[in-house]
Amino acid sequence: MTRQSRAAWLFTAPVLAIIALVFVLPTVLALGLSVTDYSIYALADWSNLRFVGLGNFVDLLTTPLFWRALGNTALFAGLGVPMAIGASLAAALLLHDTTIWWKPLWRVALFAPYVTSVVATAIVWRFLLNTRFGLINYALGLIGIGPVDWLGDPHASIPAILIFVTWKIFGYNMIVFVAALSAVPQDLMEAARLDGASRWGRFRHVTLPAIGPTLLLAAVMSVAGFLQLFAEPYVMTMGGPAQSTVTVLYFMFDEGFKWWNLGQASAVALILFILILGVTIVQTRIGRRYEWL
Amino acid sequence: MALKPRTVRTIVANAAVALLTAVTLLPLFWMVTVSFMPRGESNRFPPPFWPSRWSWENYYELLVRRLIDGAWFDYRIVPALWNSIAIAALSTGLGLLLTVPAGYAFAKLRFTGRERLLRLLIAALVVPGQVAMLPLFLMLKEIGLVNSYAGVILPGLAGIFAILFVRQACLRIPDEMIDAARLDGASEARIFRSIVLPLLAPITVTLALFMFLGSWNDFLWPLIVLSDQDKYTLPVAIAGIVREHAQDGELMMAAAVVTTLPVLALFVTLQRFYMRGLLGGSVKG
Amino acid sequence: MGRGAQQGYEPTRRAMLAGGGALAASVGIAGCTAVTGPAPLRFWATSYEGDYSPLLMPDFTRATGIPVDVQSVPSTAAHEKMLTAQAGGALPDVMMLPSGWIGEFAMIGAVMPLPGPALAGDVVPGALAQTRIGDRCYGVPWSVAPMVQYYRRDLLAAAGYQAPPQDWASWRTMARALKRRRPDDFVLLSLLNWPDTLITMLFQTGATLLRDRDTRGNFRTPEAQAAFAFYLSLYREGLAPRALSTEVQDAVGAFAQGFYAIWPSWPTAMLDFERRKAEIPAAAWGIARMAGPDGPGPASRLDAALCVSATTPRPAAAWALVRHLTSAANELRFQRLIGNLPARQSAWTSPQLATPLIAPFAAQMREPNPAPRVLEWERIKIEMQLVAERIVRGLLTIDQGLAMIDTRVDAILAKRRALVDAGRIA
Repeated sequence: MTRQSRAAWLFTAPVLAIIALVFVLPTVLALGLSVTDYSIYALADWSNLRFVGLGNFVDLLTTPLFWRALGNTALFAGLGVPMAIGASLAAALLLHDTTIWWKPLWRVALFAPYVTSVVATAIVWRFLLNTRFGLINYALGLIGIGPVDWLGDPHASIPAILIFVTWKIFGYNMIVFVAALSAVPQDLMEAARLDGASRWGRFRHVTLPAIGPTLLLAAVMSVAGFLQLFAEPYVMTMGGPAQSTVTVLYFMFDEGFKWWNLGQASAVALILFILILGVTIVQTRIGRRYEWL
Repeated sequence: MALKPRTVRTIVANAAVALLTAVTLLPLFWMVTVSFMPRGESNRFPPPFWPSRWSWENYYELLVRRLIDGAWFDYRIVPALWNSIAIAALSTGLGLLLTVPAGYAFAKLRFTGRERLLRLLIAALVVPGQVAMLPLFLMLKEIGLVNSYAGVILPGLAGIFAILFVRQACLRIPDEMIDAARLDGASEARIFRSIVLPLLAPITVTLALFMFLGSWNDFLWPLIVLSDQDKYTLPVAIAGIVREHAQDGELMMAAAVVTTLPVLALFVTLQRFYMRGLLGGSVKG
Repeated sequence: MGRGAQQGYEPTRRAMLAGGGALAASVGIAGCTAVTGPAPLRFWATSYEGDYSPLLMPDFTRATGIPVDVQSVPSTAAHEKMLTAQAGGALPDVMMLPSGWIGEFAMIGAVMPLPGPALAGDVVPGALAQTRIGDRCYGVPWSVAPMVQYYRRDLLAAAGYQAPPQDWASWRTMARALKRRRPDDFVLLSLLNWPDTLITMLFQTGATLLRDRDTRGNFRTPEAQAAFAFYLSLYREGLAPRALSTEVQDAVGAFAQGFYAIWPSWPTAMLDFERRKAEIPAAAWGIARMAGPDGPGPASRLDAALCVSATTPRPAAAWALVRHLTSAANELRFQRLIGNLPARQSAWTSPQLATPLIAPFAAQMREPNPAPRVLEWERIKIEMQLVAERIVRGLLTIDQGLAMIDTRVDAILAKRRALVDAGRIA
């Protein structure tokens, strides 16, 4: 082995070993668990364990709560990603304007929610969204909108959580987009302005293609993040009302750790993996078509 | 006198940003003011913004072990605070030790299988961590690491994202610098220590911040692995309290403040590094 | 490389040294446990039992020299915490379990049987049966908690009632009268994610909820229909709110302010009222048995028992703690502290429990407990309530709902069915 190879293995072996141990091995075991009927009876007595092949997956397909969880998660991602990316982009555009003073100050302030703990801020937002005493309904009341039962109405619960999640994460992509906006070629912008293009035209034809790849990458990572929502429903709504905020991961947690149906929970985890993989592939395809990747 | 269009735009834009910032920071601001209100004051309509009198009673109730009639009443938040600090510090220290050399190796050292391993790592990013969670729990149970610091920290050390992040930064180091040192007869370890590490300093700080934050705010895995209240981290401890004491708004806000304030303070102090790490040096102050 | 490199090197080395130092310090802290005396016994309990148990411990420590470390587990997370602790080998020495869970925990080998019959000798009838699996008892009953209705004396008196009627028809008439007087408020605080009110109604109609040796759901019976119909009518007529516990965060405050006139609850509510007697004085509320279709019958019960972990290193000390906590004197003391009713028969002869306020509990306790003794019962209750919520919100009819419950229960019990059919469990 060359000197470089030796050094390389010395540098990489520890972390690769850990990755194999805590990531690769359990993922393979999850595949194994998902084809057994591991339940609390198996925890009591190993011999109660049976191999069920695709039985868990078939059971899931006939479990209405699983479909609800899938639907809720899809709704979270479908509504949440445009909301979050849109908010980040809007904030970045605002911050990018040359007439803004004290940019570092605003950047830090708008980023602050991202570094806070989800549990702590979920508690704060639970009180903000309180139907009677919450600030949100108070503010809405000031402009004449009646109180919304944010956490009690099954139709309002997902928007409520999405507003919270957007508030929490928009700062991160905002910074990423600010960096991308700075990289937009200025000579193209000048040329467009000299040609008389409107603000919107300049945005559409110069800015957007330039930040396209960044937008796409942010969207891909956002989708994966939204598909893994757990802490917010756990702290704010316990999956309710009427199970309208049960996500796939919440379902998996309940199934796995509350009722100890590890076989079925592993099946759910694998389905989640396939979903994320599928979405990522679709998005990379789209990106390739627009030559953004 | 009519204002110049540019002045109007300046005023409007700055006002818009200020308004956005105010709205964004309002929940955190309210969290702090409510935590200082006397008990029961926040359950009022219209909701109060400012305490009628500033009171430390919520923090006292939360943080202080009190002896009533010969028995302890204790939310065990202070132990949770120490646990969070210890676990986050350990995670960060060990994480850096493991991933920074690996990132450099993937960027600058030639070895067989480098490209293939890299592709595997990138592919692994797609797999959500929760798939591994249940079997990992069973595995840790067999080795006896459940309900321990090691059980919480170990899964977090598989820092694939960190490796790729460091690699990205190392790619920018000019090869000539390293080759020159090799020609001078320096060992690979020596090159890493004396040349690469100093150049990576801002990246290392950013990564350390990321790791610390990630570990401090981690919720699901500590929730599963830790069963002893004395070992809880802060998010797990306050999640437990909030399910029982939902009506004590002021107490809950105090708990939220205790959980968010340390990382906010850390972030504000080190935000220059953090921002530079995220922005990659492309944006001027 | 010049001064730039030197300056850059320093923080990194410092960081790594700091990391190493922290590592060493933590290992040191973790390694040395400052033991000054015997290690404490670990005890877990939920909600109020957990909060107030520390008050019962000093006597034990004085008598035996063993300190006790009490941990209060939130009741909504107790099931997963206990199971995870069992799977991880981290259960405490002594734990409080709802009696309905003992079968489950005994089967997975988490709890050990009683060392002798003496500990469980003198308990109220019906409480011991739940802790018995086969021919051995796995826990000592600690408290009994039947469901009763708390009512606002003043609000009922204003409508002409001294106490709530005990049969459904008259009860509903009273409720309608209350609603007419206060149309903006509700009569019954029955939240849509708490199953016990509906379970009580099902028990009182005499419905048998599982069939075929408890391996299949049996919700499509006329009795269950009647219970669900009564339950639904309360919401339809606006007598109960379509709300969850996450929306009504302060039930006691709401009861105190008259938003609800009647609140079906457990003995520990008496502690809540005592703590907040500034808002709701003792004269303002009373207790009555839950109404049944033709008079009161069995109601839902939240009996609790104390169990010793099968893997405790100190069984003798653990059982001594159990004996201490379940003595009649301590159970009476606990009753004074948190309202929970003793499981020791001899405690019931005390004048403390002979008050008119406790009488409904005493009467209710004598009813049998018809809860099915399968370890999936907890989950079945929750699933049933989820469907009930959908019925109340108008998303399902009662017939559709009952069919859905049966399907879900059959699925939940599938594993049990397979094992029963294979003869592996009774």
